[in-house]
Amino acid sequence: MPENSVPENNPASAGEEIRVGVYTCHCGGNISHVVQCEQVAKLLGKLPDVVVTRTDPSFCSDTGQAIIEQDIKELGINRVVIGACAPSLHEQTFRGAVTRAGLNPYLYQHVGIREQDSWVHSSDHEGATEKAVRLMAAGVAKARLLTPLAPIRLSAEKQALVIGGGVAGLRSALDIARQGIRVTLVEKSPFLGGRMGQLESVFPLDEDPRQLLHDLIQELAAHPGITVLTQAEVTAVFGYVGNFNVQVTQHARGINDDIAEALMAACTQETTDEFNYGLTRRKVIYRPYPGCYPATPAVDWEHYNGEPIHVNGESIVLKDELQTYELTAGAVVLATGFNPYEPHQGEYGYSEIPQVITLPQLIRHLALLKDGDELTWNSSPVRDIALIHCVGSRELDGVHEPQADGQVNNYCSRVCCTASLHMAVELRQRFPKLNLYELYQDIRTYGRGHEEIYRHAQSSMVRFLRYHGDERPEVIAAPDGDTHPVLVRVKDYLTYGEEMEVPVDLVALAVGMMPRQVDDLVNMFKVARGADRFLLEAHPKLRPVEMAVRGIVLAGTAQGPMNLQESLSAASAAAAKVAALLGQGWVELPPFVAHVNLTKCNGAGACVKACREDGAITLQTFIEDGHEVQRAVVTPANCTGCGACVGACPNRAIDVQAWTLAQYEAMVDAIAMEYPAFVEIYR
Amino acid sequence: MPSNERTKQPKILILATLAGGYAGADSTGQVHADYPANTYILPVMCPAMFPPEFFVRAFERGIDGIIIMYSGTDSPYKVEADGTADLVNRTYALMKTRCIDIRRLRLAAICTVCVKPFLKEVNQMADLLKGIGFVKDEIAAPASALA
Amino acid sequence: MENLQVDALVVGGGIAGMQAALDLADQGFKVVLVEREPSIGGKMITLSKVFPTLDCCSCITTPKMSSVAHHPNIQLLTYCELQSVTEAAEGFRVGVMQKPRYVDASKCTGCRNCEYECPITVPSPFDRGLGAYRAIRVPFSTAVPQAAVLDMENCILCGKCEKICAANAVDFTQQPETFDIHAATLIMASGFELTPLNAKKEYGGGALRNVIDPLMMERFLAPTGPYGRVLRPGDGKEPTSIAYVQCAGSRDTTLGVEYCSRVCCMYAIKQAMLISGALPLAEITIYYMDIRTFGKGYEQFYQNAQAMGVEFVRGKVASIREDAEQNPVVKVELTEESRTVERTHDLVVLSLGMLPATGSNEILGLPLGTDKFIAVPAPNASPCATAQPGVFVAGTAMGPMDIVDSIVTASAAAAAASAYIREHQKEAVYA
Repeated sequence: MPENSVPENNPASAGEEIRVGVYTCHCGGNISHVVQCEQVAKLLGKLPDVVVTRTDPSFCSDTGQAIIEQDIKELGINRVVIGACAPSLHEQTFRGAVTRAGLNPYLYQHVGIREQDSWVHSSDHEGATEKAVRLMAAGVAKARLLTPLAPIRLSAEKQALVIGGGVAGLRSALDIARQGIRVTLVEKSPFLGGRMGQLESVFPLDEDPRQLLHDLIQELAAHPGITVLTQAEVTAVFGYVGNFNVQVTQHARGINDDIAEALMAACTQETTDEFNYGLTRRKVIYRPYPGCYPATPAVDWEHYNGEPIHVNGESIVLKDELQTYELTAGAVVLATGFNPYEPHQGEYGYSEIPQVITLPQLIRHLALLKDGDELTWNSSPVRDIALIHCVGSRELDGVHEPQADGQVNNYCSRVCCTASLHMAVELRQRFPKLNLYELYQDIRTYGRGHEEIYRHAQSSMVRFLRYHGDERPEVIAAPDGDTHPVLVRVKDYLTYGEEMEVPVDLVALAVGMMPRQVDDLVNMFKVARGADRFLLEAHPKLRPVEMAVRGIVLAGTAQGPMNLQESLSAASAAAAKVAALLGQGWVELPPFVAHVNLTKCNGAGACVKACREDGAITLQTFIEDGHEVQRAVVTPANCTGCGACVGACPNRAIDVQAWTLAQYEAMVDAIAMEYPAFVEIYR
Repeated sequence: MPSNERTKQPKILILATLAGGYAGADSTGQVHADYPANTYILPVMCPAMFPPEFFVRAFERGIDGIIIMYSGTDSPYKVEADGTADLVNRTYALMKTRCIDIRRLRLAAICTVCVKPFLKEVNQMADLLKGIGFVKDEIAAPASALA
Repeated sequence: MENLQVDALVVGGGIAGMQAALDLADQGFKVVLVEREPSIGGKMITLSKVFPTLDCCSCITTPKMSSVAHHPNIQLLTYCELQSVTEAAEGFRVGVMQKPRYVDASKCTGCRNCEYECPITVPSPFDRGLGAYRAIRVPFSTAVPQAAVLDMENCILCGKCEKICAANAVDFTQQPETFDIHAATLIMASGFELTPLNAKKEYGGGALRNVIDPLMMERFLAPTGPYGRVLRPGDGKEPTSIAYVQCAGSRDTTLGVEYCSRVCCMYAIKQAMLISGALPLAEITIYYMDIRTFGKGYEQFYQNAQAMGVEFVRGKVASIREDAEQNPVVKVELTEESRTVERTHDLVVLSLGMLPATGSNEILGLPLGTDKFIAVPAPNASPCATAQPGVFVAGTAMGPMDIVDSIVTASAAAAAASAYIREHQKEAVYA
């Protein structure tokens, strides 16, 4: 197809005078305290075609950029080499400056001499300086071979895909749709609302979470631009920013509204109710709570045993049917949420001592009690209760038992302190005689209105016990005949390290957050995870809700622990990024794609075999000297610029633009420069 | 101004993928970890773009060791992994015909947060080169390499 | 200045205001950004490095400043004060006063010759008074816009700057100018002020020379700072024992500040790590009640600091006095040991908290929370909406938060504002 759409990528066209400007940034001392920038600049000035060489405290500043722009305009600089921080930080900044000065933005070469030089060789200033010289000489060598390029402009579907129907996904979907961009929201479970629906009261204002959810879902359901697919999953992804082609597979709802209630009533098969974190059982035809959305009950296909259900004298066998949809989306929001940390067997007695539960379970347990009921557990009255903080959070290597993947959770889960104290306040109000113990390391009530909850708990007869992270409390079953079933042992530093033994009837573990299992999505979208296993943003401050893969943004706890307000903010922020990306109806991509030199190509097709992207390179028929010949042709929009074709071609007929083999060879030569040659430029 | 000894140090070229090793090298910089300065990192989209001849040419020009740092087999970039491992094997075969010690080329899986593995790879290669010396001596004297 | 008609007016050119403006402008909306200082950049541009990545702060901030200055959809108004805000048919009518720079910013090239010529030296607020600048100056090296400003309070009208200026930009006759901006929506990103150093008398801040605030320490640590190294302001001595007093201004009912300021634990740990790098022999102690390193990567950062040898002492600091050598002596109740001790340090940093910035908030008359920051009535439904429809809030104007959270709330405020604009304007801003 468009063999003329990209310019020739030969070394600089004949007759053009190459005029290189070289700029070595001090980075406010970050570089210049180690690398002798003035020396670097001076030496590079001796390389061929270098017309001007300068240093500045900060080329990324307005003044710094202005210097470069001025050189382009006044000295006719037509190749720019900048040695500065990592290209991930400022490559775009300088491309912008170069463009403003009227130069093609791809005639600019960035060399990282901070993260990969001054910051890692602070004990070897001389070595760091030589390294900067050689790396920047390589930059000059490459720059001399750069040719002007134009970005590839792709039409972008004004359509977004949101994965995850929890509160972050819902908020994102609504905010994107409000910008006139159509949204498809895909939710794995049969109902919207996610973890938020399992809460009973949200701090700091003690609002009803299901009412808040209801209001949000009503607004979303009424919006004409939003399509919701429940019981659906993304099963395949092709394409790229602006044009992701996504396959979604959806289970059948399986029952019609008119007999749904009767079917649910007649259903006798039960399974564990995950809505109540396993405290209760529910039918396999179910709805998690009254007022859920969609209101139609769902069939739990995973657990339904296929037996007929008898309704009005009829025997009905429910059948699942998978349906597949193909969607096109310009951008994708990952709002896949979190799971509460599941303590391993025996951790604080969990799943060994029946009186040890998690805080989410305690929340559900309280919700199942009737007003005025006494607090009981397994039919025994609860007189004393201990809440233990930091379970599955702030773990230490070598102290805590690693999880299946060999790692410990060394992060703080942000919400557990306030959630525990909020629970303590609620327990105090409902059960005035209950003895309450909070076992903590540091109280982290950082949020607006959260410190007040801590104060409230402090004035509510809650006994605080403070332990050290490497001396975690111990939970053991009390000997038979004891007054209480469980003993909590803790070295309490509020009483100067006294060993305490607290007899209790119930222990609630304030478990942290873990990301949901999203291996499939990570593989399909080729996105990154951090050391904490949560999805990883491109940069915490420059691009805090975007992933490194363009067109994919993050919303809510898929990125890391957050509370409700923070999830909502992140979700709206994600929507702002999607709106900016898709608002114009087109997306520009960098021109780093493969390009065939048709005069060298002999149509052998090695590149087509080597290519990993569907339809990025094809063999097409050309007429040459009256003969039909086969030649390789690249479809730029499908090409990711990986270069697998480059290594495969026996004729060096194909190259990735701005990343050519010839440029690498020139860079290697500059780095390998012989000692005499190196001394020559030092002279 | 570099001294004679300095510029006579062996040179290590690191070809690092933008999604893997290059970001890992940046992470190493962000924690200000120290490693030898005779290391030259070039970003690459994917190492599979280089034919084996490229590496041999680099050795012949005086690069003493090359580490390819990519995201590895556990990464989402599985195809990259397959292609790269194959490339390295083909390059080893070519290096042997030129009497170049194949330990001079290493493939390493380095992700964006792999600070420690990054340092380990770089230090290992630096130590190796101290032992086996300059590539030019090796190429100049293939007979001694066989002896 | 002609009256302006825009989609959104952003109050405050710190990191939150800049991000909100950029996100709206990237969506095609016309934005005006009003900043009362002569340059944008806010508090962030004065910082050294940022946690937990230890990125050079200026490297994150200056490109955003540059993008704001260059964005075709953003009009930047620096050195401007809000005067009035009234509701109008199309949204809000905002009265703005351009304070006189006494320099024509459109002519000024930022060459700084006026600055070199000026005979009057005054303490620089950019350097927290640790350094000095001239009565006429470019506010700081990376300021946006790069234009000089003259402070008439200290000027002796010697006329040297006017003579040296090749661009004829100096203009002693400038007067305040007022004009109106019509905006469909407002975003308040008015930021915070640091707790005054002398807020808690027992700690001797302001009276004891070697008790400083954390932004002073940022300037000591910043490569662009006045000294380029860490020293005691009292006598210029290099400190070998430095202490941080946490919650000095937060979680303290005697100061009327019940809330946690969220950033103090992390900035203290960050500064401790940076000091360890600058002064490897220095001993650093952090006196704290609870360490609150709750953000992404923050707990690991805390663990790293412990591994580096930073001493964390759980204790309540009762008072600070000075010995004969100007050394601050910290009286601390060690809550894990049931005793009170006195420990002498060379330098003490009070980990001061955040208070709401004053000025613009009062002009809007928005309801405030009990913490005096702008109230957000429905935090769990509309996290950036104020009590006034059409007015949104971003960053520390709604309470203490760190840079990452400020940036995220700014983008969220931009999303809420853009939805509001679309839903309250008959015609779409772009097709």
